[in-house]
Amino acid sequence: MNLLPGPAQAAAIGLSLAFPLLLLLYARIAATGGAGRRFRLGCVSLLILYAVACIALPGQRQVGDVLGGLFLLGTAMMLCYILFSLLAWGFTLTLLTALVQAGRPLTLEQWATAYMQGGDLGTFTHNRLKLLIGAGMVVTADGRLAPTTKGVAVAHLVKLVRLSTGLG
Amino acid sequence: MSFAVGLAAVAVFALLAPALQFMARTRAWPLGPVALLAIAAVVSHGLGVTLGILVVPQFQYWDAASVFGFCVMAYVFAFGAVYKSVSLGILLSLVDRPDRRAPLSEIVERQVPDLFRGRIGNLIDGGLVERSESHFAATAAGRNMAGHVGRLRRAFGIGDTSLYDFSE
Repeated sequence: MNLLPGPAQAAAIGLSLAFPLLLLLYARIAATGGAGRRFRLGCVSLLILYAVACIALPGQRQVGDVLGGLFLLGTAMMLCYILFSLLAWGFTLTLLTALVQAGRPLTLEQWATAYMQGGDLGTFTHNRLKLLIGAGMVVTADGRLAPTTKGVAVAHLVKLVRLSTGLG
Repeated sequence: MSFAVGLAAVAVFALLAPALQFMARTRAWPLGPVALLAIAAVVSHGLGVTLGILVVPQFQYWDAASVFGFCVMAYVFAFGAVYKSVSLGILLSLVDRPDRRAPLSEIVERQVPDLFRGRIGNLIDGGLVERSESHFAATAAGRNMAGHVGRLRRAFGIGDTSLYDFSE
């Protein structure tokens, strides 16, 4: 068994380890925009650096080596996205931080208000619905919500994924 | 050939992970879904490496590990997307209704508060929040975790609302 990665794979491992540092760096540059945009910028930067490494590294590249490196980069990006999205858009985590920031015990209603920073659960619902409406999965008419054909297809896909991953 | 060994390990993972989730649910194992995914990944990776050593004369560990890591992370990504998504929860509830329609007010006044109470239950079960009569307060573990989350959010330039920013 050969435990040593190829040159491109070694570059990909190094870049994967540096990815969180790159995101930390971009967080200090105001022009990089919000969290989502900054993450996408980080992914593009990583791919560009990998392409540069593949060209600049001495010796001839093997297809398997380059492909393996791309898989490793993809793995790192998905892992970082899962953690990053939990921090940025995690519902349960934000509930906890809102309660701690309040600095005193709260009733359910007070907690909801603290979570929405003065807003209400309607604001939160509209924010989440905007995602579904923007993606063309749900439409609103006369104060009622209805799924589009695309929304129904996505819902069936979600059920299939839930079934095949053992979530039922 | 080493890539094929990695894919064989992915196939083992894709069978083992849902089987573990199903068994944990039916036998009330005290293990969370994420811990079960980690167990399935470690076991299937170990089996893949053993298979590679036995079957492939020049087994390239990183070729197998790269494709395995990528596919398993894609699985975890899909799992996380359907596991507790608020938006997809709203979509599924719409599709499951006989007339596939719901008043917006019902989502705001009933479904989202139910989601809210469900997540509070998770925080209480996790020992991060405690309830005394009608009030909720963070435990020492909850305050500790909220502190870590706050520091990470500040470092990565992430806000603390958990709302999607559609202006990006």
